[in-house]
Amino acid sequence: MKRKLVSIPLSVLLVSSFALAACADGGKTTPAATTGAETPKATADNTPTAITIMAPLNTAQTPPDTIIKELEKLTNTKLTYQFFPADTYEEKLNTTFATGALPQVTYLKNQATFIQMKSAIRDGQFWEIGPLLKDFPNLSKLKATTNDNTKVDGKLYTLYRGVDIARQGLIYRKDWADKLGLKPPATTDDLYAMMKAFVENDPDGNGKKDTIGLTDRNDLIYGAYKTVATWLGVPNNWGEKDGKLQPEFMFPEYVATMDYFKKLRNEGLINKDFAATSKTDQQKLFTNGTAGMYIGAMTDVSTLNKDLIKNVPTAVVDVHSMVAGPSGKFASWALPGFANVVLFPKSAIKTEADLKKILAFFDKMMTPEVANLANWGIKDVNYSVIDNKAKKLDEEKWTREVKPFTDAAIGDEDTSGRFLGIPTIPAQGKADELKIANLKFAVQDPVAALDSKTYLEKGVQLQDVIKDATNKYIYGTIDKAGFDKAVEDWKSRGGSKIIEEYNALYKK
Amino acid sequence: MQEVNVAQAGRVVARKQSSELGRRLWKNKWIYVMLLPGVLYFLIFKYIPMYGLIISFQNYKPFKGISGSEWVGLEHFQRLFTEPDFFTILSNTLILFVMNLVFYFPIPIIMALMLNEVKSDFFKKTFQTIVYLPHFMSWVIIVSISFVMFTMDGGIINDIIEYFGFEKINFLLAPEWFRPMYILQVIWREAGWGTIIYLAAIASIDPQLYEAARMDGAGRLRQMWHITLPAIRSVIIVLLILKIGAVLELGFEHVYLLLNSMNRNVAEIIDTYVYTAGLKQGQFSYSAAIGLFKSFIGLALVMLVNRIAKKMGEEGVY
Repeated sequence: MKRKLVSIPLSVLLVSSFALAACADGGKTTPAATTGAETPKATADNTPTAITIMAPLNTAQTPPDTIIKELEKLTNTKLTYQFFPADTYEEKLNTTFATGALPQVTYLKNQATFIQMKSAIRDGQFWEIGPLLKDFPNLSKLKATTNDNTKVDGKLYTLYRGVDIARQGLIYRKDWADKLGLKPPATTDDLYAMMKAFVENDPDGNGKKDTIGLTDRNDLIYGAYKTVATWLGVPNNWGEKDGKLQPEFMFPEYVATMDYFKKLRNEGLINKDFAATSKTDQQKLFTNGTAGMYIGAMTDVSTLNKDLIKNVPTAVVDVHSMVAGPSGKFASWALPGFANVVLFPKSAIKTEADLKKILAFFDKMMTPEVANLANWGIKDVNYSVIDNKAKKLDEEKWTREVKPFTDAAIGDEDTSGRFLGIPTIPAQGKADELKIANLKFAVQDPVAALDSKTYLEKGVQLQDVIKDATNKYIYGTIDKAGFDKAVEDWKSRGGSKIIEEYNALYKK
Repeated sequence: MQEVNVAQAGRVVARKQSSELGRRLWKNKWIYVMLLPGVLYFLIFKYIPMYGLIISFQNYKPFKGISGSEWVGLEHFQRLFTEPDFFTILSNTLILFVMNLVFYFPIPIIMALMLNEVKSDFFKKTFQTIVYLPHFMSWVIIVSISFVMFTMDGGIINDIIEYFGFEKINFLLAPEWFRPMYILQVIWREAGWGTIIYLAAIASIDPQLYEAARMDGAGRLRQMWHITLPAIRSVIIVLLILKIGAVLELGFEHVYLLLNSMNRNVAEIIDTYVYTAGLKQGQFSYSAAIGLFKSFIGLALVMLVNRIAKKMGEEGVY
């Protein structure tokens, strides 16, 4: 590990001298700084704006120019995309940053790189774009909640690339449920009853008691735990109690969730080793026909289905999301809504007029016409339209030519008005509908837009204290008193400070 | 006068010496040219990066660089030593290391000695190939295989235990099973590969020694004890010192894959701590400080063991 660490500053040193050469390597590009300086100050409106964009590449090769050519035509720009492999994108970002050579449009990689960039953003190295958005009809359609989640000290510096906010739900074996005469669970009690039936009533009909209800993994967030917790009424990370923000695990509903899972484990309705199970092994339990339920992102249904029917050709899967807790109310855990964000460095964009030209480009990117081009490619070459939905013509060709631009598209399906895709199986279509229906019940994280200094320093480490205690409680190695002790431990090691810091910001 | 003479003479000698050195350099110029890539390698990849250790005394911010970041002195080290879990982490690391030495280290030696006694070439070659193989698998695969074997939901080992009427054992989560599982996996993956050097050392032993011993009526065990083992003694010691040099390199990936909520109090080691406390939260300086601390322990141990080795009349590594 140490060698890797040390290599960061080293690569800053070494790479700085190669940075220009490396840029040129990525395509016929001019270094960003020069491009910025060369941008004519008073261009007439019909001269194309030159824009250099740096973005992570999730495919094996840089895409051909075909899509860029079309984009340039539609948006009246001269675009230079610098794609760098996503695996090493963070290093590239840091070194380019250190040498002051960031291009006008800089994509980060994910939420984590965004959090790391926050201090640089506070230092005033990037343009604040919040007040300008109202002048752009399409950019002002970007979701306010997601924008709030990407604010730094209450100011907006970034445009976001959206992901589904409320995609959490249940993927289950419909053939099993039908055979046992079960309806999709309406409450968490039904959910428990279904798991029990899946274990005890021999749903696969082989005469052996060799099935389990739910498959879970060693992840209390993206595994089943948090989704079920939200159904049972636990707030999303933080919630308000007695007029004050408190972490989720101080709510009685959190303990109720632990009890729920403890019962599942004691009765063998869930895989006994879930706290040591990886995502691959978790999914394997579902796709090899052992487990009847998977709780997580409903959008995974088509991949899970594909692998399942290889092993069990008669299997039928379905998705479901409306499960109510004891209060009778339905709730859905909401993700912060962005997968990546774009920053606009002041080192490359000299004036506000230049900034507006670049924002105008992104504004056009969010019109249905351009958004479809960036998402699906060229009509009748990369996709065809059936019933107002897009169908890819050649998956491989699409991946090579279009996917890099899809990964760089701003906004969401419903804000840009681009075509929805045609689902490969009916359950996939249902998942797409449910994730929109879920939005009405979405429980947002109230601190997503707030920053606590102590949290940035120790949050992950402290979170482990709670994570361990939660697992130990479920496994029965500690009781309620032991869990309370862990919470006190969390408080004394910095948690109290985190509570204070968030509450100070929250009141404002 | 005399002083001047002495000075002059000194200069002459110096010139003579330097020209001597120059001539020697010139004479062996190709050897030095061949040395160059090695020297450059160490300079560029081992010594220049040490410059980066500076960040453990700073509040390093990537965009400000080393020159722009703020100096904080020993703050990060203080934080490490006052961390409530510090002694648990350090002792976990050392316990795993000692287990490595005690349970893993002798195994390749024993295996090499045993292989050496095998007469059939075919059997020997086949066996070697089989025991080398696991070394080429990544830890992810090895940990996954053990997961499948040891899991309570249909793992074969637990099925066997149940078949014989015993309680299933929670191998994967129980803290008391973490260390045995760890060391078993290390042995399974590395033991075969570790025999290579010992076998090579054994192969270089003069066969006449064995003949003479046989004449004197030494049996196989006697030969092993009095000829083979002493002959590879220095190899064993060098490898031991090298092993100790990497004292805290217990394999981040391996431990991280085995680590879970239930066994953290025995499984968290310095490497995994660096990852969770440092890298996941972007605290480069804190991570670098821990790395530096770890290297110091390694250095101190190597110097100690090297000294002991020399006292024992061995050459050591330097």
